[in-house]
Amino acid sequence: MTRLPAAPGCAADLTSHAAWDAGAMGCGELLLELRFRLQPLQAGQRLSLVARDPGAVEDMPAWCRLTGHKLIQADHPHYLIERRSDP
Amino acid sequence: MTTKRFCVSLTHAKNDTDKATVAFVIANAAVASDREALVFLSIEGVRLAQKGYADDIHEEGFAPLRDLMANFVKAGGKIFVCSPCFKKRGLDETKLTDGALVVGGAKLVEFLAEGAPCISY
Repeated sequence: MTRLPAAPGCAADLTSHAAWDAGAMGCGELLLELRFRLQPLQAGQRLSLVARDPGAVEDMPAWCRLTGHKLIQADHPHYLIERRSDP
Repeated sequence: MTTKRFCVSLTHAKNDTDKATVAFVIANAAVASDREALVFLSIEGVRLAQKGYADDIHEEGFAPLRDLMANFVKAGGKIFVCSPCFKKRGLDETKLTDGALVVGGAKLVEFLAEGAPCISY
């Protein structure tokens, strides 16, 4: 378990249970691998992601809206995503 | 709850490897976003359904097409292959890539009939 540095003035809990540096990977390749890496986590556990692709800025919020995973923090290229409960 | 559908129509293979690659990248985004995703291969695109054909297609900045296709199928994506296009090119239906299904128009119409967005390459 790791803890990201909190943004200035942000007291949110930024604990993560898994981390992945996706490097420059983007678009469908990034999303499919991200889906795969979130699957083994329990609902409510969090993945700390580094995604340097410029498309990630818009894609991460959109993907979380589509899938129901929760975007806890977005500070490009750092993202913190909380796994949803399965339906 | 029924899964929402998403279709990617691809009509190119080695005649436009950029289009062939990006089509599967977008298809992977769809399947990763919990869509029932379909890649419909027609015209030259049907060549991609032949086992081994895509092995040497690797666009700069993208994963090899073979891997993009394999990951798509592994994640639950479907690949429909236009039967008349396949036959016209004399391809071998006993040597299909994993997950590819040779179909007639009815199968595509059935997939789209209830409403599915479709992007074409």
